[in-house]
Amino acid sequence: MDALLTAHTTLTAHANLSTTLTTVDSLINLLQQTRDSLAAAADQPSTNTLPPPLQIAKLKAPVKQAFEKVEKDLKEVNKGLNGYQKALKEKFKGKDGAGMGGLEGGGEGLGGGSVGTGMGAGGGSAGGGLAGQKGLVERAIAMHLLREGQFDVASTFIKEVSAQAESRDLDGMEEDRSWLEDFATETDDVDMNGEHSDDGYEDGELYGPEVIERGYLQRKFAEMYRILDALRNQHNLAPAIHWANTHSAELGARASDLEFELARLRFVELYTSPNPDPQNSDYLDSGFEAPISALHYARTTFPRFHPRYTREISALLGALAFSPGLSESPYRAMFEQPSWETVANLFTTSYTTLLSLPSQPPLLTTTNAGTLALPSLTKFTQILTKTRSSWTTSHELPVETPLPASMIFHNIFVCPVSKEQGTEENWPVMLPCGHVLAKESLEAHARGKGRCKCPYCPVEFRVEGGGKRVFI
Amino acid sequence: MAELTSTKLDPDSHLLLDQPLLRLPHELLRKNLKSAQRHIEIANKGITTSIQSLTPHSTPADTLAALDATLLKAQTLKRKLEALHAEEASLHRQQKARINHIQELHEIPTIADVKYDLWSQTRLDRLLVDYLLRQNYLASARQLAEAKGIVDLVDIPVFEDCGRIEASLRGSHGEISSGDMREALAWCAENKQALKKIGSTLELELRLQQFIELARTGEMGKLMEAIVHARKHLVAGQDTEFGLRAGGLLAHAPDTMVEPYRTMYSSARYLHLAALFLRTHHTLFALPAHPLLHTALSAGLSALKTPTCHSAHNPHRGNFSHPRNTTSTSISRQSVPPLLTDTPVCPICSTELNELARGVPYAHHTKSYMEEDPVVLPNGRVFGRERLRGLNVKLGVPELRVRDPTDGLGGTEWAWAEVRKVFIL
Repeated sequence: MDALLTAHTTLTAHANLSTTLTTVDSLINLLQQTRDSLAAAADQPSTNTLPPPLQIAKLKAPVKQAFEKVEKDLKEVNKGLNGYQKALKEKFKGKDGAGMGGLEGGGEGLGGGSVGTGMGAGGGSAGGGLAGQKGLVERAIAMHLLREGQFDVASTFIKEVSAQAESRDLDGMEEDRSWLEDFATETDDVDMNGEHSDDGYEDGELYGPEVIERGYLQRKFAEMYRILDALRNQHNLAPAIHWANTHSAELGARASDLEFELARLRFVELYTSPNPDPQNSDYLDSGFEAPISALHYARTTFPRFHPRYTREISALLGALAFSPGLSESPYRAMFEQPSWETVANLFTTSYTTLLSLPSQPPLLTTTNAGTLALPSLTKFTQILTKTRSSWTTSHELPVETPLPASMIFHNIFVCPVSKEQGTEENWPVMLPCGHVLAKESLEAHARGKGRCKCPYCPVEFRVEGGGKRVFI
Repeated sequence: MAELTSTKLDPDSHLLLDQPLLRLPHELLRKNLKSAQRHIEIANKGITTSIQSLTPHSTPADTLAALDATLLKAQTLKRKLEALHAEEASLHRQQKARINHIQELHEIPTIADVKYDLWSQTRLDRLLVDYLLRQNYLASARQLAEAKGIVDLVDIPVFEDCGRIEASLRGSHGEISSGDMREALAWCAENKQALKKIGSTLELELRLQQFIELARTGEMGKLMEAIVHARKHLVAGQDTEFGLRAGGLLAHAPDTMVEPYRTMYSSARYLHLAALFLRTHHTLFALPAHPLLHTALSAGLSALKTPTCHSAHNPHRGNFSHPRNTTSTSISRQSVPPLLTDTPVCPICSTELNELARGVPYAHHTKSYMEEDPVVLPNGRVFGRERLRGLNVKLGVPELRVRDPTDGLGGTEWAWAEVRKVFIL
């Protein structure tokens, strides 16, 4: 990196066109002076100047010199550029040229358009890979823009995709653009800002409508960002609490802590606020002391959280006994820095989970995983190219790709006998002793026998009905 | 899973995709220098000849006029160089911004770092803008780059120019498209040397197309013009193939069924030219042929994908998706929601990417990767014991009883005694 920085500094410091410009400037000056003196001589021939032919002759050498100087200046720039190129080459050593080529093949070949076929590494033609799935890629991008809160970009994007799709239709090219139907365009006049409790299915809605109407995700994410903005920037819990109450049943079914955390934060807010804002509170008249208002809130809200959060609730209420000396009480830790950011993150997770979407943008997780996996894949494709062999398993990557634990989302079962992963066709089977094998391994192991022994422990069992499918 | 769980960041292997980022401004600077050289060469020639043309016998008026012309040439040169210098400065600024961006990565120790999160978000934004630019969604690209403050990290003008030329070659859509080659030819002239260096036949192909257009008319005058055109433009270099093809074409009328002349007369040739231009352009500027997003995504989809992701028994599966094998265009949801419990939703299982990942191979593992202390419920589902216990507390299941959390509130309840330990090696 340092070499690149140095090379860049050289470029900006002197290996640029500024010196050339200075030289050209002095050339212009010289020409101008000569011209002026010639003009003056023409006006007053008597003055004691050189005759024009001599002046012109005198000009030849400096002009030549000036252009030689310019050439030299440009050489300097060229030298600077070469320096940078060298540093760049050094930086990406072994990764350019063949590296990029291999990577191209790797990336695209792996993308293999249709299932199973033509997946040989390096066989990535422009038509294969993800290029053949333009519609799905663009749908993912549209959803990503929405979940990032880039509503304007998203609507421009959807407009541009539709326009291009139309013009291609005119050209007779058919593409799957059905996903566009799910997204509203400007003309649909989607209400992005209003309250949505009048959505019809919002209250008591458990699983959403059978068919998602246009703009559904747009409105959902607009609502999410409105609530998040209130939480993060205005420290206003009301919209979040309202939302959580409306979706109480779904949140409960998903064992989400969101509702309670919001209530806890509200309690702490009421307790510690010097002067509870009557406008912000639906629960009491103004003029009460802070702890009393917190108690009121607790009485109306907390019973719902019994018995799941009984311990937390008793701790919160116990703190009431210490008012106003809260800072010396054993409960003070609970009241320090009500963590708005934590609650905001919990809210995002719960909200996206109810939409059945990951809380982290999938495109981000995937591209990150991709860059972690690429070195192995590139290396592999390079070896393949070198040895002119090809990779035959089309449904599984040929090499292990490193991933950190945070990017592992499922349990992974690899049969200890066959080293194959459990799949829909070859599922994991548990033996009576609790050991798990792949179905095909067990079948091979037990073939032609009435009873057989677990390969990993002394337990024997009857083959018939001996293995039980498990879901890992 | 080999030693894969390390989170240490190796910037150099992490930057496989980022070479074009640093490379493009450099190539543009080179092009800039070449332009400067060309202008200077022209000015040098002009000025030197006009000074040399002055003989001692020239009248004072002639001398003055010649000097004025020279001065004008020098000033034109200066103006052009100033424009190039400004361009150069802006490229330097871009270059600096990109070096800084890459430098930031070198200062992040592990991918668990919050800073990596931010950095990788910027990278994703870059990849997205690159994708949008390549698909000619220019307004979206510009808007996204501005919203994210990464204008210096993406190459909007380059792709704008490239997209414009490509579109003009493709021509307007309609029955018989005939593209416009002027911009493409101007681009070829601008990059003449560099094109020669990479042995590009783009200009020859374009000149051949001009020849084809002349021949298409069938008028004698135009045919003569075509021959002159071919003599001027198609004989360059050692390559006789273009001249031969052009000669052969003259013998065939536009409605010929004889190959290769039928194909040469076809308007689809413009699409071919447009594609060739794109390829040449990307090669010249060291840009990858495919969007980097595709490369990163397909590698990532595979690395993350497990056989479970498209399994019917997957509790994580996104609950609305385009139903396969139906003609319905709207998204429909399953009537029963999958319960997602407390684990993060897998990106491959999510609606956003599930369909896209269907065709890609899943990751290769040589070892099982299981939660701590796995146990199996009577329905066959395996959980980590502690996680199962925690979820059951949250779901309010009475003590000593247990429920499959993926079945939610309505699931069957068993006694804990029925939960068995399972051994996964």
